[in-house]
Amino acid sequence: MTTQIIEAVLEEAKRHGAEKVTEVQMSIGKMTFLGNEQVRFSYKILTEDTIMKDSKLIIEEKDGVIHCTNCGYKGEVQLKDDPAYHIPVPTLQCPKCGKTAKIVEGKECTIKSIRMIKKEEEK
Amino acid sequence: MANTKDVIKGEKVTLKIEPGMNILQVNKQLAQKNIELLRKNNVKAIDIMGSIGAGKTSLIEKLVQKLKKKYRIAVFKGDLTTTIDAERIGRHGVQVVTINTGRECHLDANVVARAIERINLKEIDLLIIENVGNLICPAEFPLGTDKRFVVVSVTEGPYMIIKHPFTFMNADVMVINKKDLAETMKIDTRKLEKQAIQIKPDLKVAITNALTGEGVEELIKAMEL
Repeated sequence: MTTQIIEAVLEEAKRHGAEKVTEVQMSIGKMTFLGNEQVRFSYKILTEDTIMKDSKLIIEEKDGVIHCTNCGYKGEVQLKDDPAYHIPVPTLQCPKCGKTAKIVEGKECTIKSIRMIKKEEEK
Repeated sequence: MANTKDVIKGEKVTLKIEPGMNILQVNKQLAQKNIELLRKNNVKAIDIMGSIGAGKTSLIEKLVQKLKKKYRIAVFKGDLTTTIDAERIGRHGVQVVTINTGRECHLDANVVARAIERINLKEIDLLIIENVGNLICPAEFPLGTDKRFVVVSVTEGPYMIIKHPFTFMNADVMVINKKDLAETMKIDTRKLEKQAIQIKPDLKVAITNALTGEGVEELIKAMEL
């Protein structure tokens, strides 16, 4: 995943003629299995030999939002907190009608912005 | 964007762009293309997820045996490096394409599209895709199938479902396999079922023993095949 993120950033940087990328801002949904820390770790290693070396990675986490097509409820993903497991488990169950709702937010992995340095040509 | 008037040639400027590019979107679009191509050719497609050793390949063998009279079947078999499983499935007289991912822990819509190019869609009605054995990564990569089912087996312990909620949210059917070992493993399959329903109320459940074929009919029904 991180490789794909970096490839996409490098491509954008190339398109804009950048010689260095200084900052990448990402938005990652909490309804994905993408771990913040792991993305950071692999980002650091994978950018080492690129113009993205030492660039700052900002990750904004996005909460999950569900929409129920049965009753129209739209809101944050509910958590089932079963004391037997110690961890709250997210559920697609609509808190209003109990039917299965759809995830409308929280599944993204978006490159929001890239800050780069380039040599400006005289216009 | 820097004000170009103040910039002399060769001076360095900082540029900020906002691509708003969703990395997962690329795969989703490819998956959409796959499903459109399959539907155009009247091919149903299913994706099978599950841990290593959950019984995905054994279940496919049983599915193929039961369904090969009704459908002309092709199987895509995601595997890191070997063709062992492909040979197992191939014995049942269906076309098998191994997708060796090498290092990748999941299939994606792109490798599936490449594999589709290797078969003649006019010659099949059902495409079964076995994902790489992994309960995590495949959840984020739809392949362009009509339905997905996820296999858990009782030997994986009582917490497989709640540990991987997103995988179950992304599935249409859950199979609890190795039913015959439930008692030995002290696993109550009803509890597993309850956990899954808590995460996704409309998830269908089939309880199987892939070695004997028990429960496979229920799976076929749940998958509407």
